[in-house]
Amino acid sequence: MQHRVTAIYRNNIAMSDKKRIGGVIISHGQLANELVAAAEAVVGDLDHIRAVSIGWHDDVEMAKAEIEQAIKEVSQGIGVLLLTDMFGGTPTNIAAMFLDNNDVEIVTGVNLPMVIKVASTMRETTLHDLAKDVEEQGKEAICRATTLLVPQKLKKDA
Amino acid sequence: MLEATIRVTNTLGLHARAAARLVRLAATFSSGVNLRRNDTHAEANAKDILSVLSIAAGRGVELQVIVNGVDEKDAIQQITKLFTNNFGEE
Repeated sequence: MQHRVTAIYRNNIAMSDKKRIGGVIISHGQLANELVAAAEAVVGDLDHIRAVSIGWHDDVEMAKAEIEQAIKEVSQGIGVLLLTDMFGGTPTNIAAMFLDNNDVEIVTGVNLPMVIKVASTMRETTLHDLAKDVEEQGKEAICRATTLLVPQKLKKDA
Repeated sequence: MLEATIRVTNTLGLHARAAARLVRLAATFSSGVNLRRNDTHAEANAKDILSVLSIAAGRGVELQVIVNGVDEKDAIQQITKLFTNNFGEE
């Protein structure tokens, strides 16, 4: 037991030294808050992820300022990934205003596995690669559950 | 490389929170830790929660735990214990 406690302690120290790519989840209504809360229940505290829930009647400038503040809070200097609820929707359109900043990428159609992917990625990676991984993960996580009964269709090592 | 056969016995199976506990434990070892379902042969990396969830191991499923590395003995012992303790659940 002593050994395990020491190992966890070492692991935490190693993790805190490493810079992480930040994440901002942006949605209509309270969806973003709830996605982050659910991911936290699974993975634990998510210091590098923020939720911005845009009310249906919120002012665009106010929403933009909120996203800007969230990006600042989670940025550790190696990029911030914005996950939005729906391509073509207001949250995505407002998020797109930050795209001229090279440290920002957007992936749309956020689901819980995508948030968990950002939350649990510990290895060193680039913003571009993480964005691709998260896009792929989000698509892979959508399946007809009945297909799980067919063994050969199961993905071997996600 | 060490292998052990274990059965998922907690009511909810290897669900999100149980999987998270497994991943946290596996991450404390430098050894690689993989799981393989004995029925479908689907494999998962026990250090990646989404990979663990993808094998959808419900109650009653038999798994091989495959551990490979310098601390494999300790790793297989503690991981097996986590399963036999039902992840601290019912």
